[in-house]
Order: sequence, then structure tokens, then C-alpha cells
Amino acid sequence: MVMSEEKIKIETGEAGKGTSEISKDANVEELEERALSVFSSERNEDMTALILCLITTFLVLIFTKWL
Amino acid sequence: MNQEKSNTPLFILGGIMIVYALIASTNALLPLMKYLHTHKTLDLQVMMGFICGGLAIFGAVINLVRKPGTSIFDRFFLEPLPGILFLLLMAMAVRWYAEPFVIILSDNLAPVIGFKIYKVLNLNYVVLGLLIGVIITNTIGIPGFAASGVKCARFVLKMGVIMLGARYSFAELAKLGVYSIWLIGFFVLGTVFLVLWLGGLFKQPKSMSGVLSAGMGVCGVSATVAVAPVVKAKSEEMAYTIGTILSFGIICMFVFPTIGHMVGMNPVQFGAWAGTGILNSAQVAAAALAFNAVDIKTLKVAEIFNITRVLFLPIIVLVLAAWFGKDTGQKLNFKTVVIDKFPIFILGFLLLFIMSSAGLFSPPSHYKGKFIDVSYNDRTRITDEEWNVLNNAVNEGSLQGLTESQMAAVVDLVRQRQIAGNFDERDNKKLFDKTGRDRMYELEAILAAEKANEITLDKDVKGAIKHAIKQVHKKSKTVTALTDFMIWFFAFGLIGLGMQITKKAIMQAGSWPLVIGVISGVTKAVLSFFVVLWLVKDVVLK
Repeated sequence: MVMSEEKIKIETGEAGKGTSEISKDANVEELEERALSVFSSERNEDMTALILCLITTFLVLIFTKWL
Repeated sequence: MNQEKSNTPLFILGGIMIVYALIASTNALLPLMKYLHTHKTLDLQVMMGFICGGLAIFGAVINLVRKPGTSIFDRFFLEPLPGILFLLLMAMAVRWYAEPFVIILSDNLAPVIGFKIYKVLNLNYVVLGLLIGVIITNTIGIPGFAASGVKCARFVLKMGVIMLGARYSFAELAKLGVYSIWLIGFFVLGTVFLVLWLGGLFKQPKSMSGVLSAGMGVCGVSATVAVAPVVKAKSEEMAYTIGTILSFGIICMFVFPTIGHMVGMNPVQFGAWAGTGILNSAQVAAAALAFNAVDIKTLKVAEIFNITRVLFLPIIVLVLAAWFGKDTGQKLNFKTVVIDKFPIFILGFLLLFIMSSAGLFSPPSHYKGKFIDVSYNDRTRITDEEWNVLNNAVNEGSLQGLTESQMAAVVDLVRQRQIAGNFDERDNKKLFDKTGRDRMYELEAILAAEKANEITLDKDVKGAIKHAIKQVHKKSKTVTALTDFMIWFFAFGLIGLGMQITKKAIMQAGSWPLVIGVISGVTKAVLSFFVVLWLVKDVVLK
């Protein structure tokens, strides 16, 4: 993919620390959303949430039911 | 972000938490905690203080001894840690101080103003958390060190939605008749499509209509969080949806019981109507109790109708994924919608729901971790003194005004010293369980009749019956712990979500979402009113 040299500014709000410069060809909506998350993609975020919840559930089961 | 710079906030946050835990562990705060009714969480407060404070110091020390990098450990632990701890500190302040204080304050104000503010405005940790987040961001602004942690808010909210699945079980759903499930499904989907249509009519952004439709169709916070990634909703749109739903619920809490009484609805009909028409679970419970504080059936029916809506969540996510994809011009097929677009965390919600229904956390027929155990069990017996009181009352014939079945339940309680099925039927577990539950309902009805001044009960007899009922009501420790995690995830996530909402964003959203919310909410309430009156007779629960 040929990257454009042209840059535009997007609003990422207080949590995203104001504005950021990105390539004009970039998917702005996606980047705005990612600027408000520590994860690089929705899938990574969901998978991490799921895994952490399963670990939590397992630990809760150990301490409240199985021990 | 320069991690060396973030060390001071980490040390300060860690210091605050450890000092708090130390003070709490000396019981110095116990009188205050008792006043706020949070003393039962003393051990948790101490433990969380030490663990979180320890983590802060650990992170700060690591920052001191090693150079900042771009590893996963840096990106997902060291960088967001100050922000995460900052949000957590505020979540603790909301759960242990702000929420109990608001409850006590509104209890004290109730005799003067005539109502309890926290109940009417639903000022629980959800609203307080959001409000505090919004206030911070629009006054002092998000502190620089916390920005990275605030970005974890949506992620943690998703964890809250996954945990929500553990609270429900298929057995509760199965208790509803087919009629009721069709009724709930019709209103959930109907409201979603109505809001989407109204959103188009009032020229609202697709993301706003999408998230509002889920919120209005299913229920407040969880549905909003679940659908937001599918329709690419912004934080302020999520907050606006939650706000709209809660404001509409406040009106319903007053209007529903009044109309219910005016048209002479029976307890089951009102429960079904409130459970269908009101969105927020707490407001459903408040309306049911306002309509009939005596008959437990109203609340039970309302709650079951309400939770069944939550279980429509995955279907709504699918519907909205298809709608959003189609409206943004993407070519959609089954694979795109179900596999590519379907959020993985909703699968997590389903997974926990399946685990819960399979009885992994609690007996399968539990409801929010509560279940009834009418099996032969020494722990469900009444005391010898209570038995004597009941035995004398039965022999002397002092129990007046009871129905035949109520009297039979008391006689059996005396005979078996606990609420249970028939000894001869103990091999048929289903029948044994049903008989036991029926006896418990009869005993509950006796207490309800006494509360309504229909009969008079001796204080000791009442106490014995109350204790017998309490003995068979069990609570799963596992579901309670998982629910606690869910509450903490929501409290943390909502404060962070609130911090992403600026005044400018709220002004931009305007009042149209509120208008759409009110139109769809009123339509749903009116339609469900007639349908419930027409379809729901006395028995909707098996």
C-alpha cells in the first residue's frame, strides 16, 4: 500500500491528549476509537477482556467453591 | 509518555492507598464505616488498599531501575498503571463513601421533602461514577499521568458485561411461559427498530441511534456497553444513552404504579408490565415495590421479565451489527455478521451464562446467586424454641384466619422442623422440590397477610416462620464474588467513560436523543400496557 505524505489532524479529546497528526489515507473513525483505548484492535481488547474474566472466574471458583 | 515523570503520582497514589489500609486495619475508621454501613467490607478495604498500594510502589520502583521501553509490560502495565490506580481510588471513594453517604443523606432528608432522592434519581455507583468522571474532566481536566489509564475504561466495562452472564441462569428463563418470552422478544426488537427509525427521521448519527436503540430496547448500562463497539459509538453517545434511559426510568417509577392502581392491575400483571416497560433493573424493582410492597409475586415477575431482556443482548448485537454494516455500505453475509462483526466479549457473556446455567457457580435454578434449598438439610432447620412456639400455636388453635393450605404448611413445618417436601416423595426430586417450594410460598403468604393487617400473628410465631423461610434461602458465594467483580468493573469503567465526556461533546449531541428516547419509551410503555392487560392473566410463572 502506498502511504500518502499528506497529514491531517484529528480530535482525540482529553483522554487522547488533544489532537494527533495522522496520514490523510487513514481510517479516521477507527483511529479516533483506538486513540481512546490502550489496545491496537477491537479483537485484541475483547480477547484480553475474555481471558482476564475467565482467569478471574477460575480464581473465584477455587476460593469460593473448590477449596 | 515519560515513565520517569509518572513516578511521583505513582508514589503518591501508592502512599495514599497504603496509609488508608493501615489506618483502616487499626479499626480507627470503624465508627465512620458503621455509620455508612460499609463496615462489612472492612477486610476488603484493607486488602485492596495494600494490594493496589503495593502495585503502585512496585511499578514506581521498576520505573526507577529500568529504562522505559515499548514492550507489552511497558504498554499494558507500567504506562497505564498510574491512571488505573487513579480511577480505582475514585471507584473506592464512590463505592465506600459517596454512595453510602448519598443514601444516608437522602434517608435523612426524606421526612422533609417526602421522598428519597437516591431512589428517585437512582443515585447509585453507576450514576455517581459517571458524574464524578464528567465533573473531573470538565473542571480540573484529566491529570496527565492518568490519560493512559483512562483509555482502559471501555476495556474494563467489557469485562463487567462478561461477568454479568454469571448472574443469570437458563432455569429462570424456563420458568416463564412461551407467551411471556414472545412478549419480551417482541418489545425488545420492536423498540430497537422504532428507535432506529426515529433516529433516521430526526437525522441522528448512526452510532447514536444504534447505541440508544439497544439501551432503550434491552436495558441501560450493559446493553449500551455491549453494542457500542458494533455501531462505533463514542463515549459521549454511550453516556447520553445511559442518561436518557435513567431519566425516562425516573418518570416511569412514579407513573407506572399510579396507572397500575387506577386500572386495577393484579400483582402479576403489574410485574409483567413494569418488567417490560421500565428499563433499569433498580427502577423496575422500585416501581414493583411501590405498586405492591406486600405481595412478593409483583417484584419476582417484574425482575424475571427484566432479566430475560438482558438475555436478548446477543441477538440485539447481531441485529445491530447487520444494520450498521448494511447502512455503512458494506457487503454482508452470514460470516461477516456472525463471525467478523460479532464482539468476542459478548461470547464471553454467553459463556458465563452457560456455565451459570450448568450449575457451575450455584444450583442451576439460581437467580442472581440466590436459590431455594428445600432438601433435607440440618442447616435449614428451625431452632427448638421456635419449634415449641409453633407447636403450641398449632395445638392451641391460636392461628386464626389462615387458609387451608397456609395452615397445612405450618403443620408440616412443625412435623418436619424445616420447610421441605414430603418424606415419601424424597426419591422424586422434582416433586419433592415443588412441594417444598409451595409450602414456602404459603408461609410467605402468611407473613404478607400479617403485614397487610389481614390477620394477627403472635410475635414469636411470626419470628419462627420468618426464620424457617430464611433458612431455605441460600446465596451462592461464587456468584456473590463474581457480582462484586462486575460491580467494580462497572464502577471503574464508568468513571473512565465519564472522563471522556466534555461539555462540548454533550452540547453537540443536543436534545434529540432525549426526544427519541422519550417517544420510544412511551410507545413501548403504552403498547406493553395493553398487551399485558390482554395476554397476561394470573399465572405467568410455572
